[in-house]
Amino acid sequence: MLIAIFLIIGTLCLVLQTTLLHGLPAWMGQPDLLFLLIVFAATHLDLFRGAVLALLLGLLMDIFSGIFLGLYPLTYLLVFFVLKGSTRHLAFTDTLHQIPLIVISYLFANGAIYVITSILAPEATLSWAWGNMIQQIIIMSVVCIPCCSVFRWLQTRMTPGSGSSFMALGSRPANRFKS
Amino acid sequence: MRKKGKRSRQLKALLLFGLTLTLVLMLIVATVGRQEFNTPHKLALEVLGSAQSGVSRVGGFFSTFWRNYSSLIGVREENERLKEELRKYKAATTLYREAVATNVRLTKLLELKETLPSPTLTAQIIGKDPSQWFKTLIIDRGSSDGVENGMPAVTVEGIVGQVVNTSPHYAKILLANDPNSAIDAIIQRTRIQGIIKGNGSGFDLYYVLKNADVSQGDELVTSGLGTVFPKGLLIGTVSSVTRSRRGMFQNITVAPAVDFSQLEQVIIIMKKASLAE
Repeated sequence: MLIAIFLIIGTLCLVLQTTLLHGLPAWMGQPDLLFLLIVFAATHLDLFRGAVLALLLGLLMDIFSGIFLGLYPLTYLLVFFVLKGSTRHLAFTDTLHQIPLIVISYLFANGAIYVITSILAPEATLSWAWGNMIQQIIIMSVVCIPCCSVFRWLQTRMTPGSGSSFMALGSRPANRFKS
Repeated sequence: MRKKGKRSRQLKALLLFGLTLTLVLMLIVATVGRQEFNTPHKLALEVLGSAQSGVSRVGGFFSTFWRNYSSLIGVREENERLKEELRKYKAATTLYREAVATNVRLTKLLELKETLPSPTLTAQIIGKDPSQWFKTLIIDRGSSDGVENGMPAVTVEGIVGQVVNTSPHYAKILLANDPNSAIDAIIQRTRIQGIIKGNGSGFDLYYVLKNADVSQGDELVTSGLGTVFPKGLLIGTVSSVTRSRRGMFQNITVAPAVDFSQLEQVIIIMKKASLAE
């Protein structure tokens, strides 16, 4: 259920990115909302659910971006596992703490796309533009605060164990002390 | 006593009758006579005129005051209504302007369609690549409309790219300025051949020898080789030429004829199925 909800959210983010966000002024860049969801999945979801979500979102991204099928699932899974491994013992659950994580992982993901594309198409002349990259990082750092808050709110509502869960409402016994 | 009172009343009645008769006679004489106001007339007019004037002014003042007051009651509503009308007219003007712009664009597309040799299909762009690394578009035409991989996409200004993926109702186009795109081109003036590759924002022209005659402002068109793009479609204009000391080839950058950021519609040039197929 949680995966389905986040998949729908990811699809909506992707549709936004490919349509309305292209109309933003150039100085505002194009915030990669889908990537924020991947980072959130790596820090807040368990290994299985997070990996499945990263894979599905990567497959979706493949449809709308680039020409190498499999590039985004591979990159997103790579980012997911690296983040999962590196943040296992670190408290990166707070929204503000996620900003440095997003900056580093965004650079890592773009580096991965650059390297993989260069291997797949050596004749293609990709250019690493630091100006655009820094602009994107700043935009992502700003956008991640509201986005991660929404994602976390959704996760809290959808998790069966949490007090305010949608799913738990119907199944909760009247007497909470009753076994 | 009673006789004395009766005589007095008769005298008063007689005096009143005499006075009235005198005034009537004076009026008849004055009217039939000079037809001009005499002094009493003038005096009466002055006095009554002043009174009339005063009353009229006061009445006018109150009348104006009341009219202004009563009209103020409806002003706010009228103001709101006029503002709403203004908003409607502004929206209508924007729509008309957009319709005119669309009309101009479609007319140009139609003119281009008539000049292209193969059957063509107009498609609307519905999505753009969200990544920084790739330049692709999604259009609202797919395999059910006859769109196939490898079909070229063009606009009035020049070439746009080629179809790389299709679904029944949609297709993905790889733009010519994508780093993974390569098109065979010739310089129109000197007929020198080269390969146009995308660099993200514009094009680079490769494999043009150092001794070849290329200068800034030269126009590049498709060569027709490679069987993707028909011959003679405009690609762009040479914006800079650098001859480095090392290597065999010139470094040539080309400004695209098409503004890729402003694309709304494209024309897909449909391929005619060959007899061998």
